[in-house]
Amino acid sequence: MSDTFDHSDLPDDELLAAEYALGVLADVDRVAAERRIASERAFALLVAEWEQRLAPWAAEIPEVVPPPRVWERIATALPAQPQDSLWQNLAFWRGLSFAASALAAACLAAIIYLGALTPQQPLIATIEGDGRRHFVATIDVSRGTVAVVPAAFIADATRVPELWLIPSDGKPRPVGLLSADGAVTLKLSSELAALAAGKAVLAVSLEPPGGSPTSLPTGPVIGTGPLTSL
Amino acid sequence: MDLDANRSLIAAALGRIPGGDRAALQTVYRLTSAKLFGVCLRILGERSEAEDVLQEVYVTVWRKAAGFDPNRASPMTWLIAIARNRSIDRLRASRQRRNMEPIDQAAGIADTAATADSALQGAQEHARLHDCLDALAAHERAALRGAFFDGNTYEDLAARMKVPLGTMKSWIRRAMIKLKACLEQ
Repeated sequence: MSDTFDHSDLPDDELLAAEYALGVLADVDRVAAERRIASERAFALLVAEWEQRLAPWAAEIPEVVPPPRVWERIATALPAQPQDSLWQNLAFWRGLSFAASALAAACLAAIIYLGALTPQQPLIATIEGDGRRHFVATIDVSRGTVAVVPAAFIADATRVPELWLIPSDGKPRPVGLLSADGAVTLKLSSELAALAAGKAVLAVSLEPPGGSPTSLPTGPVIGTGPLTSL
Repeated sequence: MDLDANRSLIAAALGRIPGGDRAALQTVYRLTSAKLFGVCLRILGERSEAEDVLQEVYVTVWRKAAGFDPNRASPMTWLIAIARNRSIDRLRASRQRRNMEPIDQAAGIADTAATADSALQGAQEHARLHDCLDALAAHERAALRGAFFDGNTYEDLAARMKVPLGTMKSWIRRAMIKLKACLEQ
């Protein structure tokens, strides 16, 4: 069918852009125009100009407030934000830390169990306080070492955890500084090792960086645990 | 709502979306969803369809916000175009729902008077477009209205106004040429 009107006043692209912006194109023609918008910047600009010309007509359309469920669906349809990722989720890290601590404790228990089969039995203490298990310590008396693994210990911003051995005389002996981030193995003097083999308790206090300036705890004692052999 | 007064607010929020700012999209939604829902509802004529399309519109805004250039287009023009195009796409996919009421071309469609609030800056643009539409022949204006507000195709309009398809194409094209010339005066 031939057109009954000579539209030479406007270039074909300009007319096609007008037809697309108005919305009169059907099916194949509309899809073809959309492809050109996506691939040809000059054509996309022509369409944008026509949209600008026609948009004020929408002022005649009354506003209608959509129901709240529409925004809820939009929010659900959006991709997850980076700040929602596990990477930055504190609860996730706390959970992971707890799981890692539990795993560390389980490994330690296995080592201790195997160790129990040998004549030189290690000593173990779980250092608890305020309903929390802060550290798990294992003493190898024959080697003179103590290995301490953090469990649910939460690092203090300004103070460091320090380990103390309290033998039956009730007088704390400094052992060394611990870490909130990982296992620490400290050397025990033969004197301390001998005291540990008797009836003794391990304790952790919070001290200034570098440890207690005296030979006694200066900060709060956050937990204690008796040394026992399995 | 005073959409034009909010123009810079909307443009600024659109500018934050490419960085993944959900609150920015929510701001755009809060300021524009009533207008865009009205547009979707006008073209689709059915609430649940209009809600579906409105959702698509804002997900499209989220994806394409980087392509919005505030120096080239007003944010409302850009958003209204997305709302109209997504609505028309939906209408084309379910063709039986479109408005096919006969249009009496002799009487034309009684044009709604300019209803935009005169306090709005946009009222001036609207009044200008309205004047230029008024300068068209009644049948031309009726055809353009059917396309813009009902999402009709050339074929739909030819059927509604009972003229051959070629005649309808001529009417629309002639009307668009006149409209452009009038708006550029």
